[in-house]
Amino acid sequence: MALTDQQQPIRTEEMLLNVGPQHPSTHGVFRLVVKISGETVLDAEPVIGYLHRGTEKLAEDLQYNQIIPYTDRLDYLASMLNNYALCHTVEEALGLEVPERAEYLRVIVMELQRIASHLLFIGTYLLDLGAMSPFLYVFQERERIVQLFNEICGARLTYNYVRVGGVKYDAPPGWLDKVRAFIPFMYERIQMYDDLITGNEIFLRRVRGIGVFDTETALAFGMSGINLRSTGFRWDLRKNRPYSIYDRFEFDVPVGEHGDCYDRYYLHLLEMKQSLRIVEQALDGIPDGPTLGKVPKIIRVPAGEYYSGIEGARGELGFYIVSDGKDKPYRLKIRKPSFVNLQLLPDLLRGRNMADLIAILGAVDIVLGEVDA
Amino acid sequence: MSKETQDRPNASAVPSSASAPPSGEKADAEAKAVADEKPAADEKPAADEKPAADEKPADGKPAAATPAQEKSAEEAKPAAAAKPAPSAGTKPAAAAAARPAPAKKAPPPPDPRVEAAKAVAEQIRDVIAASLGQEAVEEVGAAHHTPMVRVRRESWVETVDLLKRHDDWKLNYLELMAGTDYPNYIEVVVYIQSTALGHFVCLKTRTPRENAEIPSLVSVHPGVNWEEREIYDLLGVTFTGHPDLRRIMMWDGFEGHPLRKDYNVWAAKEDTDGTD
Repeated sequence: MALTDQQQPIRTEEMLLNVGPQHPSTHGVFRLVVKISGETVLDAEPVIGYLHRGTEKLAEDLQYNQIIPYTDRLDYLASMLNNYALCHTVEEALGLEVPERAEYLRVIVMELQRIASHLLFIGTYLLDLGAMSPFLYVFQERERIVQLFNEICGARLTYNYVRVGGVKYDAPPGWLDKVRAFIPFMYERIQMYDDLITGNEIFLRRVRGIGVFDTETALAFGMSGINLRSTGFRWDLRKNRPYSIYDRFEFDVPVGEHGDCYDRYYLHLLEMKQSLRIVEQALDGIPDGPTLGKVPKIIRVPAGEYYSGIEGARGELGFYIVSDGKDKPYRLKIRKPSFVNLQLLPDLLRGRNMADLIAILGAVDIVLGEVDA
Repeated sequence: MSKETQDRPNASAVPSSASAPPSGEKADAEAKAVADEKPAADEKPAADEKPAADEKPADGKPAAATPAQEKSAEEAKPAAAAKPAPSAGTKPAAAAAARPAPAKKAPPPPDPRVEAAKAVAEQIRDVIAASLGQEAVEEVGAAHHTPMVRVRRESWVETVDLLKRHDDWKLNYLELMAGTDYPNYIEVVVYIQSTALGHFVCLKTRTPRENAEIPSLVSVHPGVNWEEREIYDLLGVTFTGHPDLRRIMMWDGFEGHPLRKDYNVWAAKEDTDGTD
């Protein structure tokens, strides 16, 4: 079929282009089969599953505490949140009470994790759009967070820190002060990114009005997290279905206006500030005490079905457990925000320019470890 | 084995670990291992009543049901606390022998949140029955603290669509879809939220394992497209009316459905031997 490029009256030919599975802008092994005519995307088809490790199947042969390290490897940029999501569901099922100090430590590490994850989003997103240095910048702040995590749990990426009934280790002496020292530093850096990036004309041209969708579409497609909030819809599980001790903290849920890539970028910046606010309050309120509740050596979840979701770094992260009363889940299903959010991609790309493809894909903010599970 | 059963009641007693109940609960656990979710339920109402109420702000039921339940739970507690003073944690056998009857009687106090969920589920049943007929609903209950309604698969799409459009429910935001392989059937479950009214509901349907088939929800909630593909891929359920039903996690030439309980990894390996 002979087609005409929309911008220029030049005769073009339809062609298939493979983006990925090994492509720097896909953040992992993600393949996108794009049908293009000239520079215009006619259709796009995501192909996933390259990183499928069968986590849900593996979990059926593991005891609940043994599953935690596997959750580290789902969204490997936000392992703390994954750890917590699983433990939270199991605790709900058991009706376990978690010691206060543990809850505070969890909130601190989860919000730090959210900051680290959002930082990396900003770095990689700008890298995708051709700005090299932000990627190197964000690693400075992320490094401080990773160091803090290293001190509290001995790992830099796969923490396995949150456990059913509490957390594995108490904060080492002086750790909380280091976190406190990090806060003003981070506020300053967020301001710096705001100054450097948000006002950049080239960046704005590439993200304003690109990849727009409205609230209705987002809800129909089950989108969550920043993708949903960028459309102006205030929906944050920390507020809407409070879990842990989030109801004790004062923080806002920033929302976008236009539902475009710019809003999605800017919300990441704003959310980091809110996370810092939560960490600040948690540091003020953290009590002394045990960090792990009284939990049986072998956890047996009473027969039944349990689902609970938390506000992950990329949206609603949930674990659905079917138990038959044994020490291993009968079925474990993970509600993966990246997986669900990615579905809208073909609709967003259709009719757009090839150069926008990267901008749109990047703003959806996926992590392939989570998409493929 | 016996050690584990001893551990368990302690864990569920954490909230009020200082009080006496442990021995009573221990007797409980020995009498019936299954009953051990009840002690936990005992101690809940006071602490966690609020979230349950938050979840369903629209209907008055939960609030009405709670005080009554709470009272019954409170009555049960002092009775348990009064008795087993002397040999608190040490001799569970004696305690069990001393009062087997109260231990048997203790389980009834149901969790108010479960009761509230069931009440909501019954309301949903009525709504569905009113427009799709009584026989559309097969089971009403609670999935933990969430109202649960199971409908027959012929009415699956109509039910979800009805509750999405219904003015009292407006279940518009589908959060989770999952499939589970049971010995005699495969069950597909969705958890749907009403962003306007705050309802959070679990809907289910079942299909036989042979020729597993369920109508697709994509026309109502386009967001389940990939979830249905995943269930088709890993559990072998065909979603009729799905626009693009292909494998999503496994590759196209893959045989079998890994999340089925009878899937044999080693048998599959031998068949494809090295071809991967």
